[in-house]
Amino acid sequence: MQNDPRRKMVEMKGVVKFFGALKALDDVSLDVYDGEKVVIIGPSGSGKSTLLRSVNQLEEINAGTIIVDGCEISDPKTNINKVREEVGMVFQQFNVFPHKTVLENITLAQKVVRKRSKSDAERIAKDLLTKVGILEKAGEYPTRLSGGQQQRVAIARALAMQPKLMLFDEPTSALDPEMIGEVLDVMVKLAKEGMTMIVVTHEMGFAREVSDRIIFMDEGKILEEGSPEHFFKNPAHERTKQFMRQIL
Amino acid sequence: MAALADEKKPQQGEARPVIIDVGDGAAIPSKKDAGLFTAWRVAFFGAIAIIVYLAVFRPDPYLDIIKFVPDGILVTFEVTVLSILLALVIGLFTGLGRISKNPLINGIASLYVEVIRGIPLLVQLFYLYFALGRIVHMPPLLSAVLAMGICYGAYMGEIFRAGIQSIPKGQTEAARSLGMSHSQSMYHVILPQAFRTVLPPVGNEFVALLKDSSLVSILAVADLLRRGREFAAESFTYFETYTVVALVYLIITLFLSKLISIMEERISAE
Repeated sequence: MQNDPRRKMVEMKGVVKFFGALKALDDVSLDVYDGEKVVIIGPSGSGKSTLLRSVNQLEEINAGTIIVDGCEISDPKTNINKVREEVGMVFQQFNVFPHKTVLENITLAQKVVRKRSKSDAERIAKDLLTKVGILEKAGEYPTRLSGGQQQRVAIARALAMQPKLMLFDEPTSALDPEMIGEVLDVMVKLAKEGMTMIVVTHEMGFAREVSDRIIFMDEGKILEEGSPEHFFKNPAHERTKQFMRQIL
Repeated sequence: MAALADEKKPQQGEARPVIIDVGDGAAIPSKKDAGLFTAWRVAFFGAIAIIVYLAVFRPDPYLDIIKFVPDGILVTFEVTVLSILLALVIGLFTGLGRISKNPLINGIASLYVEVIRGIPLLVQLFYLYFALGRIVHMPPLLSAVLAMGICYGAYMGEIFRAGIQSIPKGQTEAARSLGMSHSQSMYHVILPQAFRTVLPPVGNEFVALLKDSSLVSILAVADLLRRGREFAAESFTYFETYTVVALVYLIITLFLSKLISIMEERISAE
């Protein structure tokens, strides 16, 4: 993958999001560059998932602008489906399609959205299943898979669209501890290939290993950002220090 | 008719309301409920035994009745199947309309459901055949199927709405985040899953509709009840004829209810 580190993949300015009276995002601005790996951390309810979900408009923002790959997604003239084709998303609850086999999970959007032929879609799907290490499960239904395997199917499903950007919303939080590693391994591999990634996670080992930048959010605001070394050695804010102590 | 529509989800912090779930079809036996299971057996095999007994030991008039009514069963099934097919189509669009964010579509679908559910089916049949029949004349079978289909379409719409809403929101989010449009994710991801969940309630509607189809006998449709009426009027054997008609309805609905409960078990086993 060829990255242009000067190109902004995501550009958020003054983003505000309300859930009723609750201000989930409070004037958040964030740029993510091509090929960059950004990890977002913070206590629950700090708005980190909302921030991530607003990047592909699973949450519609109330104010501010978000530009993804050159398209302003808050502009009503933008076809959000076109933007989403280029932005892969992995969910905490996997959200694999239970009525489709593993292979069909990965070929569906390729055929419907990318208009690929069945044979092309299946070839790509099988390559990706090999990559995430579960080719032998291609014909199974997801309910017969473990959580870690389901999450790897979900990652393969997103990658099959050949996205320019991948969003991970606490991808290991719903997993049994022994399955976290297999999912993180896939994510590390992906990061090393140069994928642009925004990851909401509590896995600080992963953050230290692959992230270029860590964002700490609290009460809907970005409180602090910096390199992993900065966060592990001397975070500036008292709130950040306290959070790092709790999760490490 | 099964009241699947009006279940209320308890809000957080609110006292959980008591929900009394009384189906109106035959009590469908579950394996856990030995009493009901026995009741089903007694009713089903009892009804068959009585019919056989009457046919063998009281052939006059019972055998004649039993020979006369069966083509009524075919008409009853014809009306039921055609009506349920119409109701399924109307119900699917109504269900989609009821969850639509478009206020006009949503308004039309909701109005349809409110109006139809507020008028007794018998009145709707009269209205379509006798009142509208003065403007557009329709053959009885067509009016019967239209009236039943339109009526049950409203109930079916609520079943489809509940079925679609029972699919976790994450499924839509996953489909949409892959770039699928609203209708693509509905068609490829949500509806195939919703169809499985609505299968048992749709089966119950089928049984309820089969029973309600006896109402069409007022429209000169020669269904089971109508055939019985004709026979009784000629032979003056009211007690005997209506006994047979009741037993035949009972056997059919108990049989279908059993089929649905087996189907339900299979689905939940998967």
